[in-house]
Amino acid sequence: MITITSLAKTYHTNGRTVHALNGIDLEIKPGMFGLLGPNGAGKTTLMRILAGIANASSGSAVVDGHDLSTDAGKRAVKSMLGYLPQELGMYLELSARQFVDYMAILKGLDDPRQRAQQVDRVLDLVGLTQDAERKIKNYSGGMKRRVGIAQALVNDPSLLIVDEPTAGLDPEERIRFRNLLVNLSAKRTVILSTHIVEDIGQTCQDLAVLAQGQVIFRGSPVELTKAAAGHVWTLTCSGLEKPDHDLTVLSMLHLAEGTQYRLVGPSAADYPAAKEVQPGLEDGYVWLMKNSGHRVELLS
Amino acid sequence: MKRISLRYLLLTSRYDQIWFPLAFWALFIILNFVRGQQYVLDNTRSYLGAVIPLVGGIMSAYAVLEDPAIELRFATPIRTLQTLLERLLPVLVIQMLCAVTYQLVALAYGADFSTYYPNWIDVQLAWLIPTVSLSALGCFISLAAAHSTTGALLTGMIWLVQLVARSWFAGGRVGQYFLVFMSPLMVEHPALRANQSALTSLSLVLIFASWMLLRRQERYI
Repeated sequence: MITITSLAKTYHTNGRTVHALNGIDLEIKPGMFGLLGPNGAGKTTLMRILAGIANASSGSAVVDGHDLSTDAGKRAVKSMLGYLPQELGMYLELSARQFVDYMAILKGLDDPRQRAQQVDRVLDLVGLTQDAERKIKNYSGGMKRRVGIAQALVNDPSLLIVDEPTAGLDPEERIRFRNLLVNLSAKRTVILSTHIVEDIGQTCQDLAVLAQGQVIFRGSPVELTKAAAGHVWTLTCSGLEKPDHDLTVLSMLHLAEGTQYRLVGPSAADYPAAKEVQPGLEDGYVWLMKNSGHRVELLS
Repeated sequence: MKRISLRYLLLTSRYDQIWFPLAFWALFIILNFVRGQQYVLDNTRSYLGAVIPLVGGIMSAYAVLEDPAIELRFATPIRTLQTLLERLLPVLVIQMLCAVTYQLVALAYGADFSTYYPNWIDVQLAWLIPTVSLSALGCFISLAAAHSTTGALLTGMIWLVQLVARSWFAGGRVGQYFLVFMSPLMVEHPALRANQSALTSLSLVLIFASWMLLRRQERYI
């Protein structure tokens, strides 16, 4: 169980004060937990605090009774932690087996036989047994991510923190990775931080949405989806003109009769041809961001 | 201290930690043969007392932060002091190997160290004291600035200023205690032992300060 109370983090950089986290309150139970939010929302900062790498400016974070504001608490949490950072740096001249073995040593797996078994197990789990002796520098982006998750799992952690794990992966790798995370969450707490809504929808039953350092939603993907009910439409336009009037275009589909827009907003009364549709999780997320006054940045 | 693997210590070291000192070692060995036997002692003093400390300082500035997996390492229960020592000790060991093998080559080529240095210990202190001092300095500056190149550049500048103005430092009331080149170049200076003690103490302070800085892990990711 993770209890986060009034957690705040302030950075001072280039004479500027940045409030990365503004009084976060969260309780995270074992299983899969999703942390969703736009870039710069404070997700990585929160992940780093929970991993014991960064210090909170105020408030507290307690993991299984270990207070992360103390050195002893940090060390205890790190002993039970698997961590996959957003920017995964590795020793490219090592093979996957060597790298995971080295991380196992750093995590305290001192018995060589037990360590070798664990390394074999996690390499098998991520499907890298065949390529385990190849140098990491010769791996694809997806394979490197798999090495990353293997090192995170090598100490059989009870807390797994993965920050933007599917960034840069092809669709097939992404699906494989999501399934792996779901399987892993059966017997541990997995915190998945991402700005990709689909990743959360496919994996989590519990999530929080973070924006500008604050939790603006806490609940299930179904609840987030329901929040957009009555605020999502499709509209087919034949001309080049795009719908406006405080409507956010979520997607465009080019059809023979024109362009079909999927729209999210408070009202589509100005477009009588607009048809209300069932919302999806992404609609719910965009509606939440719009409704809470945060800027929604989508490609147009 | 647990969880040290010599094998991975070597495998995760950057290649320039090895080839950069080796390149200077080879250069000065070649210089010995090019300049002839009468200059071997001068070459040895320059190499041991000036080049090895500079290389050690620069390598130490790059030793800790230029770790591609530093964020993963920070997320393990390894103590910060261990991380610091695991990165600094190989640098010092490499400088030590360079110093010792160079002395052996110089001795084989007929160098007589007793012309300058009263005993064997002073020969070793001639490179060890400045090397440890500049290594601690390089490490500290790079951690204070959270930027390895800044550490290397400032260490190089301090080395250059001290080398050029060594007489001024040696004559100064305070400067004499902090001149890194006193052990290799001014063995008859009356403040030699005080200088060695001051530099050793300063090195320990800088390593302690580096340790304190590195504990604030978030500065370096």
